[in-house]
Amino acid sequence: MAATRFEVRFGGTGGQGLLLSGKMLADALASEGKNVAQSQTYEPTSRGGFCNADLVIANGEVDYPLPIAFDCLVLLDQLAIKPSWSRTKPNALVIADTRNCPDLPAGDYPCHHLPLSRTAIELGSERVTNIVALGALLELSGICKRASIERVLRASSPRSFLDLNLDALAAGYALAAPVAAAAS
Amino acid sequence: MNVVDKARVKPAAKLLSGNNACALGAVAAGCRFFAGYPITPSSEIAERLVTLLPQAGGVFIQMEDEISAMAAVVGASMGGAKAMTATSGPGFSLKQENIGYAAGAEIPCVIVNVMRGGPSTGMPTRPSQADVMQTRFGSHGDYPMIVLAPASVREIYSETIRAFDLAETCRTPVILLYDQVIAQSSETVALEPPTTPRAERKWATGPREEFKPFAVGPDGIPAMAKPGAGYRVHTTGLTHSETGFPSQDPETVNRNLGRLFSKLERHREQIDSWEAVQCDDADVVIVAIGISSRAARRAVEICRASGVRAGLFRPITLWPFPEAPLCAATKNARAVLVPELSIGQLRLEVERLLGRDKVEGLHQFSGEPITPAQIAARATALASEA
Repeated sequence: MAATRFEVRFGGTGGQGLLLSGKMLADALASEGKNVAQSQTYEPTSRGGFCNADLVIANGEVDYPLPIAFDCLVLLDQLAIKPSWSRTKPNALVIADTRNCPDLPAGDYPCHHLPLSRTAIELGSERVTNIVALGALLELSGICKRASIERVLRASSPRSFLDLNLDALAAGYALAAPVAAAAS
Repeated sequence: MNVVDKARVKPAAKLLSGNNACALGAVAAGCRFFAGYPITPSSEIAERLVTLLPQAGGVFIQMEDEISAMAAVVGASMGGAKAMTATSGPGFSLKQENIGYAAGAEIPCVIVNVMRGGPSTGMPTRPSQADVMQTRFGSHGDYPMIVLAPASVREIYSETIRAFDLAETCRTPVILLYDQVIAQSSETVALEPPTTPRAERKWATGPREEFKPFAVGPDGIPAMAKPGAGYRVHTTGLTHSETGFPSQDPETVNRNLGRLFSKLERHREQIDSWEAVQCDDADVVIVAIGISSRAARRAVEICRASGVRAGLFRPITLWPFPEAPLCAATKNARAVLVPELSIGQLRLEVERLLGRDKVEGLHQFSGEPITPAQIAARATALASEA
């Protein structure tokens, strides 16, 4: 039988740490026994312009490693909407940054417009927006345990960024908690 | 061996790209020399080995160009090291002269070709599968070639190891062929170091005076002389006799060139590898490699879910082509579909074996991979026509 697939896209612009978020999430999921395939853009856009990290998550083996239709879309920049929207499932979970991705397509889908980058700036660096987003994604989707992602974050963060990253993750969870509570 | 029969995948561990798995597999296989010239989408192999090889006591050289990189690999192997280079289409074209030399002079080495869109410099960051024939027939003259075509990060690791083993066992260059998607996508894998011993170089023993560098035993493989061991060796790209010196004596040429092919035939048991999934009752068998085979695997599930009996045949050893296994897997099929990222190369080999009547291609060369839905739609149509 085909394995169950759950597809996530981190979409934004080059330099936002989308690949790092994807890698951390994949390693965390792997530690829970899930299989993940990650693909990304290999273009000069990695230095600005649309950029993405796509994850295909499966309980069994990932048959086709490229995304087919997203179950979850994390938008850190307006640029990511156009290339992603047509491949997003109608009832997909959409998480978007209020500041860098202000205008979302109209429609009846579970969208969460959260101040991800503003929260990161308040914590001390816009560079951890990707980690805030990761926290929010995990709070809303529950695709992996908080302990798993924290373990990966501790193992893979440079020492100078560890505290900031852990704070950013916690802030992401906190940002999404009221929304998640309201939805349940 | 049909890999369906092998153990099921164990729990995953870490996210790793295909190119990184290749570098790790090379070191695990005993590779201690890499020469290359950076080229997308293969560069991560070199990037990883520049760190790994010195740690393992090996040597990494970034050469001045693709041609010299292949020459350095041939030289390092003659010096006794397990040696590798990695490239993509444009570089692979440049290497052909020295690949032919390695085939003719029987120099074990591994050449990785990560396929990108062509011809010429083409599309550096887009996948292609249009080097299927070049890996087999890229250099001039008659010579055989072993080409392995892994389709996942895990398989790149294990096939890289197998490539080195086959190179040593058969004293021949081996090409590892995969596409940009498989190379640069990452998958979570727990890489298990090989438990079986690696194939090592067969060195010459016995009296130095009587040594002939191309004299063979029953396995058809001449022993190489270890540099400095005192054996007299002459190596040439010209056709040669057992002494290693040039010869155009028809009988000698026939015997030596014939042996290049027969030595591989004698080792087919070790060389052949393929995967047949749900082919026994399939009305339509899909034949694919690399990323197209991953799409086909999902397409088979899509088809089966809607009552269409589809199967997948995947050559893991692409050359020599697993002829008998393909014929067996398609015995009951009414149609055979070959999806590939080229204008039609793998299809030609499948047609050669099965005839043109029941073989159809699904060809895409825009730089976009073929999707599971595209394959499933065509397979479904074929099943209803057949």
